[in-house]
Amino acid sequence: MAQIAAQRYTGASVKRSEDPRILAGRGRYIDDLKLPGMLHAAFVRSPLAHARVLAVDAAAARALPGVVAVLTGADLEAVTIPGQDPLFAMMAGPGPKPEYTLLATDKVRFAGDPVAVVVAESRYLAEDGCELVEVDYEGLPPVVSAAFALDPASPPLFANLGDNIIGPHKRSEFGDVAGVFAAADRVAEFRIDVHRHQNVPMEGRGCVASYDAGSGTLTVHAATQSVHVTRMGAAMRLGIDADKVRVVAGDIGGSFGLKIGASREELAVAAASRALGRPVKWVEDRSENLAASGQAREESFEVRAAVSADGDLLGLDVAMVIDTGAYPVMGTMVPGIIEMMLPGPYKLAALGFESTAVTTNKASYIAYRGPWASETFVRERVLDLLAKDLGLDPLEIRLRNIAPRTDPPFTMITGRPLAGVTAKESLERIAEVVDIPAFRRRQAEERARGRYLGIGLATFIEAAPGPRSPEGRSGPMGMEFMRLALAGDGVVTLFTGQMPHGQSHQTTLAQIAADEFGVPFEQVRVVVGDSDVVPFGLTGGSRSATMTGGAALHGARQLKGKVLDFAAHLIEASAQDLEIVDGQVQVRGDPDSAIPVAEVARQAASGEFGADVDTNLEVEASFDGGEGGWSGGSHCAIVEVDAETGLVRIERYVAAEDCGALINPAVVEGQIRGGIAQGIGAVLLERSAYDQDGNYQSATFMDYLLPTACDIPRIEIEHLQTVPLDADVNFRGVGEGGMIIAPPTLVNAIEDALTPFGVRIYEQHLPPARILELIDTADAG
Amino acid sequence: MDITVSVNGAARAASVEARKTLADFLREDLDLTGTHVGCEHGVCGACTVIVDGRAVRSCLMLAVQAAGSEVTTIEGLAPDGALGPLQQAMRDSHSFQCGFCTPGFVMQASAFLRAHPDAGEQEIREALSGNICRCTGYQSIIDGVLLAARRSREG
Ligand code: FES
Ligand code: FES
Repeated sequence: MAQIAAQRYTGASVKRSEDPRILAGRGRYIDDLKLPGMLHAAFVRSPLAHARVLAVDAAAARALPGVVAVLTGADLEAVTIPGQDPLFAMMAGPGPKPEYTLLATDKVRFAGDPVAVVVAESRYLAEDGCELVEVDYEGLPPVVSAAFALDPASPPLFANLGDNIIGPHKRSEFGDVAGVFAAADRVAEFRIDVHRHQNVPMEGRGCVASYDAGSGTLTVHAATQSVHVTRMGAAMRLGIDADKVRVVAGDIGGSFGLKIGASREELAVAAASRALGRPVKWVEDRSENLAASGQAREESFEVRAAVSADGDLLGLDVAMVIDTGAYPVMGTMVPGIIEMMLPGPYKLAALGFESTAVTTNKASYIAYRGPWASETFVRERVLDLLAKDLGLDPLEIRLRNIAPRTDPPFTMITGRPLAGVTAKESLERIAEVVDIPAFRRRQAEERARGRYLGIGLATFIEAAPGPRSPEGRSGPMGMEFMRLALAGDGVVTLFTGQMPHGQSHQTTLAQIAADEFGVPFEQVRVVVGDSDVVPFGLTGGSRSATMTGGAALHGARQLKGKVLDFAAHLIEASAQDLEIVDGQVQVRGDPDSAIPVAEVARQAASGEFGADVDTNLEVEASFDGGEGGWSGGSHCAIVEVDAETGLVRIERYVAAEDCGALINPAVVEGQIRGGIAQGIGAVLLERSAYDQDGNYQSATFMDYLLPTACDIPRIEIEHLQTVPLDADVNFRGVGEGGMIIAPPTLVNAIEDALTPFGVRIYEQHLPPARILELIDTADAG
Repeated sequence: MDITVSVNGAARAASVEARKTLADFLREDLDLTGTHVGCEHGVCGACTVIVDGRAVRSCLMLAVQAAGSEVTTIEGLAPDGALGPLQQAMRDSHSFQCGFCTPGFVMQASAFLRAHPDAGEQEIREALSGNICRCTGYQSIIDGVLLAARRSREG
């Protein structure tokens, strides 16, 4: 008699079920879709940063053979509803809200602002048509810097705001800020800047919209992180009931926060489909992606730090200005998260925080992997700057200030308990695997030979999902929904609102459900990408590991209960005495009694049972995050900076991370490495640059440089032993951390390398030219 | 213009506009959507295909320039859907995430490995440095190529 070992997929690097199609070139990305009668859209975009639109003449374009229609801003305004980005509409708090049309009508607000859409029989012809559209502009003074935007004399982007302040100045205090600063041995002051950079998924935005006039329904084939937010945006701006909008999606070529919801262009394409009664496709090209899809992070921080003579960081007082670009999406929401997260895993006893958000004539500030990441950059930079002044080692100042793990947990001064946070352990692990004293000796020797090595450390936590609120009222991230069914062929089918775009959910959720239900991994199917299957979902904010992992676990448990209840009618036993082992329902420990789950499903569908027997093998599950928990850890980089060329070589990079129980270690490590690579790119290469007239300077991959295989080192990953908080669900999100923590880790290492020159760094973008400048100015000073 | 191109071993005759890129020809006219377009200006490598034995960027080549040539695309590496040895090694190494860059990497790496079966890590990194992946940080891709090379040496 064969003994079947219990299946255990969760925790193993199960090979991805996405890979056979992706590696064979059989992925289904948005641009791969062809619908009968489909037309192609291209946008006419503003060459100017800020201007009035006096006239749009599309006659020549309309006359071009192959061009089916040209819809100007005014044409679309007549058939759509002005409003805001759906993410902004959903999450922005009180405060003034600009209303704007899908395409510019009266004015353009950044170089790349869409003014008209040309719809033609092919993309080539649509682009030909764009060349023929004549737009008459009257230039306005461009508002290109936050400083100018703050000036009441700057011309307002949105007339109804009256000025360029979209998030009015706001100040909060936590703890006794004045007292702490008055009592401190010293108060240090810095201004720290983070530069504008952007997501750049390898696949840009795009959609195919198809309106069916007969039923009045709109189908949007989207590249999105949330079919539901896209649906909400389309319903809002096109004035269609949400239940008449269906959003579906296939494979998505990356996003990192860019493709949340529905952009103006995508909604314009949907409106065009409705106006023309034919499917319309738009896929942005790379220059549109770089210039117009959105950018992130341009923020400045005036920091005051209260510190004791021996290195206790007692208080911070931070004033932040954020440059949200033209059409608000995410920018006004970022300061609130930064405020909450600034203390990090540290004992910080007082925080003053103020912020102002401004609009400028640049592409919109959008979500980019760890949108609040600057809190970690600022805090970890400040710690190193203080350590340098006080003659402390970076490890020492962190260990001195890190919050201990206590019971009940230490609570951040901004209010959230640090339950289960292993920040201290992560620093200790770094110190175990990197021999810092040996490095310091080598550093000294090499310096004597004119080689500049540096070491950088940084520590972070990420609310992924974050702790349950102390009152226990609600979970940390709202609800996650899932439907699960046992299909007729015995396949456990999960319907989720998650919209994976690289996260491997079709693998990881199947691992969890297979274990919990008791079927082989191959017998679980994960259905994604359809707004009709669950009420709401979104892949973002590192929510899926806990929230969807938990929904899969509890849902599979619920479904199993239902299946066993029904199977009890087939096997002479009570449901409590049944189990599912490797796809067979059997009396506990008695394989001879086994029936395959497929047979159970077949019987349930046979119609041979009375009304008193529940034959519906389907459940609706939801999960509120359970006890929640934090992800986090510490990273360490060792670099060499060439003082002649300004080039930085990363010699070693170690990440010590705790993201709870690992579902699939290979997937987790991929997320960590990918995030780190983006952080390295942000520091050494990437910048979304505008000139003083608001012309975009980074619209090709020759100008916006991305890291390649030669720029990213091998990354060593240490997984920490996690502290379980929940009885069942201790998976935590890991999507954003790498991008949050790599920039300060690397900048700290670079500054350490340049210590002999007296260089102090207050910024994040350090390409070779800038490093040479820093060396020169420090030398001169 | 009328052209004939051999694509994945089959002769394909078509009439194409002179300005149409090879990438668009493959994707739109032949429905071979495995070849992706990530930048259409020759930097990202997503559109890499093999033309007469050499890895080329199909966004920079016109379809008419490929007339009379032999073109292999990602679909040609896995004709019946079964993964070839390089693809299998990449799967085993969890090389990719979103998969958009994947066809370009597979084509570039397969052309490179054929010419340099004994390549080490640094050579592989350099050979793939014209392909951009935004998701992975490259290590898993490099590991996949190294694994494929090792397996082929060990037979
Ligand atoms: S699409 Fe050809 S190199 Fe990027
Ligand atoms: S796997 Fe997404 S770009 Fe490479």
